[in-house]
Amino acid sequence: MRKFLINVNGNKYEVEVEEITEGKTVQNPSTTQAKPATQPKPASKAKTQPEEKEVVVTEGAEVVEAPMPGTILSINVKEGDEVKAGDVLLILEAMKMENEILAPIDGKVTSIGTTKGASVNTGDKLVVIE
Amino acid sequence: MKEKIEKLLETKEKIKLGGGEKRIEKQHSKGKLTARERIELLLDEGSFIEIDAFVKHRCTNFGMEKTEAPGDGVVTGYGTVDGRLIFVYAQDFTVLGGSLGEMHAAKICKVQDMALKMGAPIVGINDSGGARIQEGVDALSGYGNIFYRNTISSGVIPQITAIMGPCAGGAVYSPALTDFIFMVENTSQMFITGPQVIKTVTGEDVTQEELGGAKTHNTISGVAHFMDKTEEEAIKRIKTLLSYLPSNNLEVPPVYETSDDINRVEEKLNEIVPTNPNKPYDMKEIIQLLADNGELFEIQQHYAQNIITGYIRLNGKTVGVVANQPRILAGCLDINASDKAARFIRTCDAFNIPLLNLVDVPGFLPGTDQEYGGIIRHGAKMLYAYSEATVPKVTLIIRKAYGGAYIAMCNKELGADQVFAWPNAEIAVMGPEGAANIIFKHDIKESENPIETRQQKIEEYRNTVANPYIAAERGYIDDVIVPSTTRPRLISAFNMLESKRETNPSKKHGNLPV
Repeated sequence: MRKFLINVNGNKYEVEVEEITEGKTVQNPSTTQAKPATQPKPASKAKTQPEEKEVVVTEGAEVVEAPMPGTILSINVKEGDEVKAGDVLLILEAMKMENEILAPIDGKVTSIGTTKGASVNTGDKLVVIE
Repeated sequence: MKEKIEKLLETKEKIKLGGGEKRIEKQHSKGKLTARERIELLLDEGSFIEIDAFVKHRCTNFGMEKTEAPGDGVVTGYGTVDGRLIFVYAQDFTVLGGSLGEMHAAKICKVQDMALKMGAPIVGINDSGGARIQEGVDALSGYGNIFYRNTISSGVIPQITAIMGPCAGGAVYSPALTDFIFMVENTSQMFITGPQVIKTVTGEDVTQEELGGAKTHNTISGVAHFMDKTEEEAIKRIKTLLSYLPSNNLEVPPVYETSDDINRVEEKLNEIVPTNPNKPYDMKEIIQLLADNGELFEIQQHYAQNIITGYIRLNGKTVGVVANQPRILAGCLDINASDKAARFIRTCDAFNIPLLNLVDVPGFLPGTDQEYGGIIRHGAKMLYAYSEATVPKVTLIIRKAYGGAYIAMCNKELGADQVFAWPNAEIAVMGPEGAANIIFKHDIKESENPIETRQQKIEEYRNTVANPYIAAERGYIDDVIVPSTTRPRLISAFNMLESKRETNPSKKHGNLPV
């Protein structure tokens, strides 16, 4: 759920916007005045939430999960990349900190379960390394 | 007489062989050493004196009277490590699988009692199949006696346990009651109920190593404190640990002469923290730059890595370090970090080891799992441990110190004897972003350009409140220091605090939230 303050012809609207994806429960967004907006206006904040990606986990693979809720700021690897333990896989912005998510083992990135700008929760599967 | 002496030596030789050549070979093939080899490695050469080698079990059930068990499956005694007295016991897996019976336990209890009386550390090496079933309740009584002594000795002498084989069922509670647990990868396991029981009860399939191996207890459960690849490395680490600890609660840790300049000014410290407060860095680098010879001996290195606990030396004297690690979980305090830190603080306090607290903490980790898991009572342990600790406490605020977490990292009010801050420190109830949203809610709402206004207000807040000077003006911070001069300042502070005398009101014991 994200809050936006939208100014339309001098009228201010406080709007709550929630992205709906498959498998997620929908909460009723409450608005203080009206809910005309489906797409947030302020360009600086208008980050369209990308679709959730499914990760493919094969047996014996190491799954890197989100350690806390936050936003994916950047992804430094792509599928097929060879990584060493301790390499930075992606940056997760949470608690006002750009947290480096590191590879726990040496291996090959077989699947990436998130995209830049996505909001993630604790335990979400981010990267699979084999 | 000559005959008698010969017979004595012969018997001793036989006892020394434990379960015999065949079983010793089997032990070696598993990558494990025998009880005696382990003791030899641990103690100074030739210093081991064995006690109770002749002890035999008294069990006559199920044909046990015909079973020979040299030393009843455990080797006990004393010796020295770096010239200091240490008591030791090592279970002998080659004798009845190191199983614990009445006399086996009595031998362990004897050295436990002696260690307590003499005020010397005790090292236990566990390698046992568990209770000797033939001995029934006598075996259970044995465990109870050991647990009781572990508890009574707690906080009086350092107790160290190395798990070097199986340690299952009730047996795990003796290690759990001691101060430090060492484990060896692939050859040591600890669990209350084994894989078979779990399989029948819950249907879960799990291997022994996954369930209770060194990695599990060092990363997930936090039961163990150290993990090594081989027994040799683990034993070497035990010796290093002992060098940081005093022999008992009435002594101070040994002081080692250092070649590292106590007035070393470290220019790197002025650059190490990124100017952008959102950027992480490695706190361990700071600790290493401050410590004698850059040496940090970490405790629970692999568990709750968002907080670092460990020993360093400053001017040759042991100091316990508790530091937030901004690289992991943004350096937040969570349930596991609180437990890890609180335990460490109490260990230091019990053994007269001064505390150095390095603070860069954005707060407690938010989330339902944290709240449901009882972060309130776990976090309270840190406050309790710091408040209760009467050893010298020095706090250095490196960057962020927000809200309750700032207090939990030992601020002035919890009894920090000296509080320092680096000039970029931000000490406040919450971060500028959150604070600006609340304080300037209306300004932001009514502004033509809310986003810009918000940014302005955040900056305004950062400049006026989130700096070390307001706290310094009120005396909550004793001094704002140049980062490069931190080492000399810390050494001076701990020197000044050496004669610190502080006692809490006498009581049976406090009521630490658990």
